[in-house]
Amino acid sequence: MSDSATHDAHAHPQEKQYWAIFVVLFVLTAVEVAWSYLGFEGVSLVVPLLVMMFVKFILVAGGFMHLYYDAKLLNGKLFSWTFAAGLILTLLVFLAVFAAFEFPS
Amino acid sequence: MSETAVLDDNAREEDELVVDHSGDSGEHHDDGHHSSLGISNTKLAMWLFLGSECLLFGALISTYLLSKANFMTQVLAGNPKVLATLTKLKEVAPEKYEEILEEGSVEPLFDILFTSASSFILLMSSLTMVLSHKAVSEADYRASRIWLGATALLGSIFIAGQVYEFTVFYNEGIYFNKNLFGSAFYTLTGFHGVHVTVGIIMLASLLIMSMRGKLNQDRAETVEIVGLYWHFVDIVWVLIFTIVYLIP
Amino acid sequence: MTVIESAVARISAEDTSKPEFLGVFARPKATQTGIKNWLSTVDHKKIGIMYGAASLFFFVIGGVAALLIRIQLAAPDGKLLSGSTYSTVFTMHGTVMVFLVVMPMGAAFANYLLPLQIGARDVAFPRINAFSFWVFLSGGIMLNTSWFLGGGPDGGWFNYAPNNGIIFSPSTGIDFWNASLLIVGLGSLTGAVNLITTVLNMRAPGMSLMRMPVFVWMTLVTQFLLLFAIPILTVAQILLLMDRTFDAHFFNPEQGADPLMWQHLFWIFGHPEVYLMILPAFGIVSEVIPAFARKPIFGYPFMVFSGIAIGFMGWGVWAHHMFASGIGPLSVTAFSVATMFIAVPTGVKVLNWIATLWGGKLILNTAMLFSIGLVTQFTIGGLSGVSHALAPADSQQTDTYYIVAHFHYVLFGGALFGFIAGLYFWWPKAFGYKMSETLGKWNFWLMVLGFNVTFGPMHILGLQGMPRRMQSYSEVQGFAFWNAIASLGSFILAFSVLLLLINMFRSHSQWKNAGKPDVGADPWDGRTIEWSIQSPAPEHNFDVTPTVDSLDDFWYKKYAQNEEGRLVQVATGEELAQPGNGEGVHLPAPSNWPIRLAFSLPVVGYALIYSLWFLIPGIFLVLVCLYGWALEPADDLDLDHGHNDDDHSLAQTVEENTASISGGVSDE
Repeated sequence: MSDSATHDAHAHPQEKQYWAIFVVLFVLTAVEVAWSYLGFEGVSLVVPLLVMMFVKFILVAGGFMHLYYDAKLLNGKLFSWTFAAGLILTLLVFLAVFAAFEFPS
Repeated sequence: MSETAVLDDNAREEDELVVDHSGDSGEHHDDGHHSSLGISNTKLAMWLFLGSECLLFGALISTYLLSKANFMTQVLAGNPKVLATLTKLKEVAPEKYEEILEEGSVEPLFDILFTSASSFILLMSSLTMVLSHKAVSEADYRASRIWLGATALLGSIFIAGQVYEFTVFYNEGIYFNKNLFGSAFYTLTGFHGVHVTVGIIMLASLLIMSMRGKLNQDRAETVEIVGLYWHFVDIVWVLIFTIVYLIP
Repeated sequence: MTVIESAVARISAEDTSKPEFLGVFARPKATQTGIKNWLSTVDHKKIGIMYGAASLFFFVIGGVAALLIRIQLAAPDGKLLSGSTYSTVFTMHGTVMVFLVVMPMGAAFANYLLPLQIGARDVAFPRINAFSFWVFLSGGIMLNTSWFLGGGPDGGWFNYAPNNGIIFSPSTGIDFWNASLLIVGLGSLTGAVNLITTVLNMRAPGMSLMRMPVFVWMTLVTQFLLLFAIPILTVAQILLLMDRTFDAHFFNPEQGADPLMWQHLFWIFGHPEVYLMILPAFGIVSEVIPAFARKPIFGYPFMVFSGIAIGFMGWGVWAHHMFASGIGPLSVTAFSVATMFIAVPTGVKVLNWIATLWGGKLILNTAMLFSIGLVTQFTIGGLSGVSHALAPADSQQTDTYYIVAHFHYVLFGGALFGFIAGLYFWWPKAFGYKMSETLGKWNFWLMVLGFNVTFGPMHILGLQGMPRRMQSYSEVQGFAFWNAIASLGSFILAFSVLLLLINMFRSHSQWKNAGKPDVGADPWDGRTIEWSIQSPAPEHNFDVTPTVDSLDDFWYKKYAQNEEGRLVQVATGEELAQPGNGEGVHLPAPSNWPIRLAFSLPVVGYALIYSLWFLIPGIFLVLVCLYGWALEPADDLDLDHGHNDDDHSLAQTVEENTASISGGVSDE
């Protein structure tokens, strides 16, 4: 468990993969913008946008931030949970806040 | 926290640690390097900090959304005190003013294409950031400096874009201290902008270190950790871009 | 171990080691003595002791405020304090007790004990640890300067909008509250990151998560709560700061804002906050009770998981503070049910403590008495808490003294009793002598008496309808009798606190006069590994990093089963204890930058209150300190065995910069 070995370059993606992630991010953003111009409304506007946003989020966190790779390390699961806990908590708490404002009576 | 993960990991971890330390009792220098999770303290700490930042931006985005909704409700209800805060917009850009009332959203204020461009720039800076980490960890210091510089530059362009956007808003009479929307919008995007600025300062510090030959392969993790912060700021912009700009 | 090898190799080449360091400024010497040693220390034990001392100091301030309140209310039509002074006094009482007493007291125990209980030499980031303490102290001092600078905050510790706005509270009090708590919060945040990293990553070999003492677990949960709750308060305070200082409209109903947003934000922070105040005390009694019941803790996994459950569920109950604010029947129902559920893990804990006591060979010394005091009195507070979960009942109780009674039973009868138990229990480990049992028992019984006489009648007063935060009441309302009793009790309580302080000093001088007899490594026949080192704990903690084989490891090294399956002593604690020989142990060098950085933050705070022009020197100072910190070598360069830890420290510094800057920016 020499720690220099745990985060050396081999555990991380190659340059090509970084570029591939970037291309996907680029395309997704373009699709997002286009989608917002196509005149969809309500659910058909919001849900695809949120899905694309989520995919972008996962790509950056998992790929660029190496979470996907580090989570495979020894005890990486516990490690990645420390961040995921904050993220999930944020989602749950603020969804509850919106719900509380949405249903006043 | 996931209990199952915790329990699974214990079993493996114990063996590892016992083996790790068997020949090591005389060596007392390893406290900073000894790690139960196999991940360095600094990296873990940065992730914890980012977990905390999730809540910070979660709260900011939520208060923005609630404030914007409250603001629009008042506008649509024709609250004179709230409408009075938009008189300048009515003069400068009457078509935007009409559109806001018509659509019942603040959407017409935003220049989506411009913001998309700055989003691309920030996304691109994430790419240059990982490339710079990669270069440092492969001891390609020249490339690492180029990528570091590129990242800082792209970040600065993003900030410049934000300043430009703020100026446009200001000229349209959307002031921080005039109405709820102004307060919420500038606070949220400004907070993000401050985070980007802090990132730029750290990148500049790394660049100076690198130019003085102090950022060698051993310190690749420092670049990675600054990178984690930088990507997180990027992620937050991914959220803000979709939630604030694209969804009316 | 390649890192260490290469480090050793580099060190052996004398002259090459120097340019390897990033440092520009020299670090202070570890050999400094006296006050300088304390100001620059990065030793988690000294920092823990300073946390404890500072929180006791603030405890006295908060206690004096409480006595002022009780004198004012002792009889109808109290004349001691004017209405506005009264508002300041109860606001400061609440704020000081929560942020500057109970939270740092938890931090004191966490700092002192975590590394000792997991078998580490120090916390993960010693300098950040020092910073966390100093920033708490500088924020705390800044808050208390408001007494002299135009009056303290007067909006209650929860500071509801729009009452906290500039229109309703034009004095600078709430600005002080805002700025100083942002600073204190920064300390909590860095502390949380630091301690979580320590627990997750620096455990001794064999110290798996499910072998950690319950105190470590409870502190871990506490720090996670802090990590996630503090940013919410930060956001709420930033918005309020924007409103008050820069004329934003977040809580201005005239512009259509919903002041309820403040309540939501505050209590999303505020409810995890109450659990993070009580959980360290739960951890402490979970250590004390097994030690003096001479039995292992009953249902260890249940203790751990109920703590995690409390930490998790604590996020889903915040709106039960808002039942009377018109959040709507659906929300009320949901939060009411959630609140009833959270009583379950808490009940599990109480039952486990009782089951641990059951059939044990109880040693009723002061620490044990205080622990039993927690179990009983917290249970009373817990039960009155469940009565708040019932929304119809709560609508009657809200804003009455019934609520005051409830949260004093959980925070004083719970948290503080636990902390005092911890003080008596670990005092010999920290200082090398025991506090007097005679005085201790007087302390305990007077405190139980004073506490119940003070807060017990408040249940009745609340049900009679006496509202909170009123500076006086008239004869005809019929509150006079129980108020007089409560005020009487508060003085008994204050006297018992005085006894505690006297005990600390008197026991010390007695010990000194007796020629400082050695209390031994293991005065209580303890269970966990902090008792396997000398008392007071040597600066390097462990001579040799211990290897842990089981829960209550130290106990099972002292006691083993014989052929008949009975537990017999195979060794004494003193035989097993490490001799305290720190030869060859390398400790991080002290640093002056944490305290410098911490005390430059209030400059920014005062600038926000008085004149934004002072932001320029303020931010300049902060930046200087940040770079001073970053450019400081990881070690005292003159030490011949300086171990090359600097890439670690550099990364740490950068992380630090991020944490401090982005946190610091929130003050700007």
